[in-house]
Amino acid sequence: MGQEMPLEMPLKMTGVSKWFGNFQAVCDLDFDVPRGSIVGFLGPNGAGKSTSLRMALGVLSPDRGEVSLLGQRPNLESLKRVGFLPEERGLYKKMSARQIITYFARLKGMTSRDAKARADELLDMMGLGEFARSRVTKLSKGMAQKVQILSALAHRPEFLILDEPFSGLDPVNQQALEDLIVEEHKRGATIIFSTHVMEHAERLCEKIVMMARGRKVFEGTLDDAFTALGRAVHIGVSEGFDLGAAIAPAGFESVLDGDHWRISLKHAQNSQDALRAAIDAGAPITSFTPEEARLRDVFVSLVSDAEAQDLTDTLAADAAEGRDAA
Amino acid sequence: MIRSTYLVARRDYLGYVSAWGFWLGLLFTPIILAIFILAPTFAQNTQPTRYYTIIEQGSTFTDAMRAEMANTQARMARVILDPVAFSEGEESETLIAFDAALDGGASVADAFEAAGGNPATLPRADFVEVEPPVRTGAELAPYLLGETLIETADGPQPLFAALLVNEDTQEIEYWSENLQARALITAARQAEQDLQLDRALAAVNISRDVLTEARAARRDVKQQRVRTGEDANEGTEVTQADQAPFVVSIMMAFSLWFLIFSVINYLLMGTIEERSNKIFDSLLTSVKLPHLLAGKLIAVLLLALTLMAFWGLGSTLLTWFMRESIPEDVASFLGTMITAAANPALFIPAIISFVLGYLMYGSMFLALGSLCDTIQEAQTLMTPLFVTLMAPLAMLAFAVADAESALIEIMAWVPFFTPFLLILRMPTEPPLWEVLAQLGMMALTTYIILQLATRVYRAGAVHGAGVNEVMAFFGKLIPGKKSAA
Repeated sequence: MGQEMPLEMPLKMTGVSKWFGNFQAVCDLDFDVPRGSIVGFLGPNGAGKSTSLRMALGVLSPDRGEVSLLGQRPNLESLKRVGFLPEERGLYKKMSARQIITYFARLKGMTSRDAKARADELLDMMGLGEFARSRVTKLSKGMAQKVQILSALAHRPEFLILDEPFSGLDPVNQQALEDLIVEEHKRGATIIFSTHVMEHAERLCEKIVMMARGRKVFEGTLDDAFTALGRAVHIGVSEGFDLGAAIAPAGFESVLDGDHWRISLKHAQNSQDALRAAIDAGAPITSFTPEEARLRDVFVSLVSDAEAQDLTDTLAADAAEGRDAA
Repeated sequence: MIRSTYLVARRDYLGYVSAWGFWLGLLFTPIILAIFILAPTFAQNTQPTRYYTIIEQGSTFTDAMRAEMANTQARMARVILDPVAFSEGEESETLIAFDAALDGGASVADAFEAAGGNPATLPRADFVEVEPPVRTGAELAPYLLGETLIETADGPQPLFAALLVNEDTQEIEYWSENLQARALITAARQAEQDLQLDRALAAVNISRDVLTEARAARRDVKQQRVRTGEDANEGTEVTQADQAPFVVSIMMAFSLWFLIFSVINYLLMGTIEERSNKIFDSLLTSVKLPHLLAGKLIAVLLLALTLMAFWGLGSTLLTWFMRESIPEDVASFLGTMITAAANPALFIPAIISFVLGYLMYGSMFLALGSLCDTIQEAQTLMTPLFVTLMAPLAMLAFAVADAESALIEIMAWVPFFTPFLLILRMPTEPPLWEVLAQLGMMALTTYIILQLATRVYRAGAVHGAGVNEVMAFFGKLIPGKKSAA
């Protein structure tokens, strides 16, 4: 590594790539997780999220690039300060909820007494107190998942890495987990979690990283994401008025979309600018609706672009290969 | 390392011992062994008495047959009266008293009691002769088929077999519907052999007693050995103490094999459970892989030691409570065995062999388990391992006949067999360099296997590699076989 990582970046991945045989799962990944932040790690299935998180933890070694976890290469010492919830859920079926949480907390360095006390505290907090001594096989799937999450944070880690934590939970438990993540964040923990459910990221994250086909397609704040998607405003005018032509000189691009015009907002423009331009152009305005951007739209747009680019690259490579063969 | 290894070992060990299957095995193994040992006696005692008859014009063969059956029962009585003296072909006060009673005309049962035997321990005769119900073979059919019963002291019973001396051909025919039971026909053949011997002797005017006297007068071939150093004054005759190390080494080798075979499955099943429960990632972010494997191996080693301690303690307690009823010569035999087992020249290599053998086979099973989601998958790869484990068992048979056989000497150099065969060789006092070299090779092989097992385990646990990937990997190693990729 050479240089010491600044402590404000608990996780930093630089130019990280990973191959499985001929398949490149992760390609030149760069991103960091600022201290004290909640970062959403988004991407469709097979995007390389879990592989990236496993490399972040040192479970997998990158074939290229560098990973810095809490200022050093991932090792057992740094991992003791990290809590990890893997994507593939699993618990020892013959152990009780309390035994499992205690076991993992002790492996992370807690004393037996502290680990047991912490397990009791967490189980009570999550409403599982009465099941503390029940074998995992007696718990529902949701309860077992909660136990696994509690195992990940029992030792009060300063950095939490959660791989698809909401997967398999019902809405009530999803909300409970959101609350828990907020609590951990308030405690001072830095958190990164991967998810398919954009609403969780919208509600919880200060920063998001999006991946598609092994590549990072976006890294930034939520505002940055909406900007990247491109905002718009819908303005209705009396029939026959050509709003597009009227505001084009002011630098607005617009298209007629049913009974209203959809005006795309460029980086420096906002919805008020579009409204002012329409008024200035003497448009008989009947309605004005700023388009509400959702992270889902950003996600779909970026992933579609990445997949389209990937398809283009593949076709180009195939064509080149065909030429070489000829 | 120590802390995480301890925690893994502790969790696994407590997991194993809290399973009812472990206690079932712990308690039932001695019971099953006891059943195996006692089964022949039990079977003999529970087998219903079988009735046979002899159809003969005179009584020459009939007398020979009766004498043979009486001899068989007398042999059984001798075994029960003094098993050690009987097995070593020696006389003892008990056997002399028994023979004297027989010579005095007593029945086997009376002679047995006269020699101090408990009549309840003498198995009753398996075969009882009855008067022939008919005089010709043709009339025997309904009796042999069980359609007509014969009268016996126990009431009407089916006829098991009939021996028919054919007066025309002079052949002896054995009739029975049971084609598997060989005891009676074997006795008949022996009786006929004795009868013909008697006739041949009579033809040259020699009494059978001459043979008996000749046998009695035969000189024993005493086994001797050269003793040097401190043992030089103990005489040259081979004693029980001389034989004990060989017996103990065979017992130790078998125990080692049995223990490894008994507990190795726990490693396999434990790892398969972790893989199918998808718990590896959580573990590998909490503990280093070598520490994890060490913890797992230690847990099952402790399990093996628990079994040994439990069975050892149980045997000791049983012996202690039964000390009054253990015959003196049996107690002396046990004492000799314990002394032999306590010899450092035997138990130190035995302990090293046990630890290294366990690590070698244990790591193989651990790696195998990490590749499999189910026991069915594991079975594909288990067969070669079990065959490897069975081979030393077959070697024990050679060791019983000759511990210095060239086969054992050569096979002991194969590291997979060394843990078992080195113990068998120790009583033959092999050169020290050979012992050290074999231990060294075994340690090196164990180290290499541990390294390979760690890599396979990582492939299975981290990359999700399965049996097919391993098969494909080994397939690539076969010359001329190309991989599908």
